[in-house]
Amino acid sequence: MIIESWDVSADEFHRSTGWEPKPEGLCRGEICVPAPGALRSDGSFDVRVAADRLGMPIVSDGEVSALGPATLSGRALATAVAADPELRTFDGRPFRLSSLRGKKVILLAWSSY
Amino acid sequence: MSLPGWQALHEEIEAFGATVVTVALDVDPDHARPFAEAAKATHPSLVDTTHATNAAFGFSNIPMAVWIDEDGNLVRPAEAASIEKAIGRDRPIPDGLPDIVVKLFEAVREIPDDGEAYRAAIVDWVKNGASSRFALSPEQVVELSRPSGGDEARAAACFEIGNHLRRTVSADAAVPWWKEAHRLDPFSLAYKRQAWTLVTTPAGADAPDLMQGPNDVYDTNLVDTVTNDGGFKAFIVRPHLGED
Repeated sequence: MIIESWDVSADEFHRSTGWEPKPEGLCRGEICVPAPGALRSDGSFDVRVAADRLGMPIVSDGEVSALGPATLSGRALATAVAADPELRTFDGRPFRLSSLRGKKVILLAWSSY
Repeated sequence: MSLPGWQALHEEIEAFGATVVTVALDVDPDHARPFAEAAKATHPSLVDTTHATNAAFGFSNIPMAVWIDEDGNLVRPAEAASIEKAIGRDRPIPDGLPDIVVKLFEAVREIPDDGEAYRAAIVDWVKNGASSRFALSPEQVVELSRPSGGDEARAAACFEIGNHLRRTVSADAAVPWWKEAHRLDPFSLAYKRQAWTLVTTPAGADAPDLMQGPNDVYDTNLVDTVTNDGGFKAFIVRPHLGED
């Protein structure tokens, strides 16, 4: 997730990382990681607290930062609930894998190189 | 890598409520577009210009695939995903080719040939669902996903910020970040091949360079990596099909 301002909303964090800030913690699938101070009672959100709780590395170059994936299980996947990153069709339309619920999906990563 | 082969598989499985989805890990969609258009896919054909799916699913190389059930749960983690025998695998390497090409040929021929078994496993799962012996439990899926700790997560962040700087500043601005991603996650051939091809493809070329030989920008390259570091097969996550 690219961060150009630390004023990241809970919704943006959820859409970009798949981790949903809730009163009980940061949740994905069956997992909720307690994160006191991440989601405040007024609805505001502290992305740095959330990143710390999920073990997400932050790298910065000047004003721009990137947030890496969570490191909870020591594995690429923390849960078998499939991630749902925003992808695009070749004509530029946004596409989410969640639009295919009800079907079995074979997701193939390929490249031109 | 055969997109038409995946389209044929899609046509075979769609009557069973299944779909192939292809996603090109290409920072520039125009590099992948000619291949995608030539495949005339009737399944979703997508592009991931940030390599977000690498970390999200554990893709470390291409081609790799995951299987997702009707409820959005993974039933296979990321694994090498060839569905047919590689062209030329059983033919002798022609005489007179440059050494660099022969080395790459030899490395490719050592890749385990799991294509037909993997294709049959997909069809079995599509027809039998959770009762297929190839469908794994959620615990198995997590356990069999690639080992990934702080270094690999930081590599993903380095690749992403490099890609962002490449778009917003210059191609050169990505290089130190991508070198760091390569250092932190040496097993991820996707981050490397993406970086190498951008510097070894001549300007105006019709197709991306697949050879990715020695270059002035990175102190690594494809030929040396796959011949000195245990071959292509050292980077292949073989599908566990027999013992599952």
